[in-house]
Amino acid sequence: MKIEIKKFGEVLISRPAGREAYLAASAYLLKDIDRNELIEIDFSGVKVLAPSWADEVVTKIAEDFKNIKLLNTENSSVQATLKTLRDYSDLKI
Amino acid sequence: MSNDIEKLGYDWITADSEKVDVVGDYYCQTRDIFQARLNKMVDDLLMNGNIKTEKAYLVSAVAGEIGNNSFDHNLGNWDDVMGIFFAYDFVDNKLKIVLADRGQGILKTLKRVKPELKNDSEVLNTAFTERISGRAPEARGNGLKFSKESIKRENMHLVFTSGNAQAELNKEMEIKQIDENIKGCLAILTV
Repeated sequence: MKIEIKKFGEVLISRPAGREAYLAASAYLLKDIDRNELIEIDFSGVKVLAPSWADEVVTKIAEDFKNIKLLNTENSSVQATLKTLRDYSDLKI
Repeated sequence: MSNDIEKLGYDWITADSEKVDVVGDYYCQTRDIFQARLNKMVDDLLMNGNIKTEKAYLVSAVAGEIGNNSFDHNLGNWDDVMGIFFAYDFVDNKLKIVLADRGQGILKTLKRVKPELKNDSEVLNTAFTERISGRAPEARGNGLKFSKESIKRENMHLVFTSGNAQAELNKEMEIKQIDENIKGCLAILTV
């Protein structure tokens, strides 16, 4: 299963928007997916990602599934956000 | 755009309640308006070309975090005027971004979860360095740490004022007491 983050927007900054994205992903993309299945989170096309949004989506998906792969993380805000989540939100991927 | 957004931001946050400008282009009453204007800033920065694309993205993420923090921590609890002041402009070839809110301020916000915090200076240091959330037990509180690290890495400059304390961040962070008391938070980011 691949989740294309750009389908939630190009500028992703707030917690409420992140929470909404997580609920939508849980209902439509991740429903009935085995928690051992590979989940690819693809950041291609994302311009701005902030930790508040990502903490509501990436951190939570990482709690729900055991096998996560992050794709196309070259964007500076994506890199910085993932580092912040690893440092302060116990993101393990 | 005005070339004196710093003064406009300062005037906005220090004005008497009934004199606050709530109709101007820089006023974002709700988070949706802020998000729309931030999206426009991203487009403007990319079109302008003065700042490299990757840096523009990171700067926008920092501005997004600081602006959203104001909404996160004051929702339903604004002292008088809800929302934030948000302006950006190029001054002397440098991008300047001004964000201000007339909310509770960092001390009041964090004292709820860390009652031992004594003053604005101490609380600013905590907000920028410690793992803490003003909305605990809800997990929050990454925004200012993210901003601090991004500013250091990309050689930006931030002056963040709340109460009678001011944090100045570049490669290092310095916190000092100031002679006035700023209600809420005032952030001036220079890139």
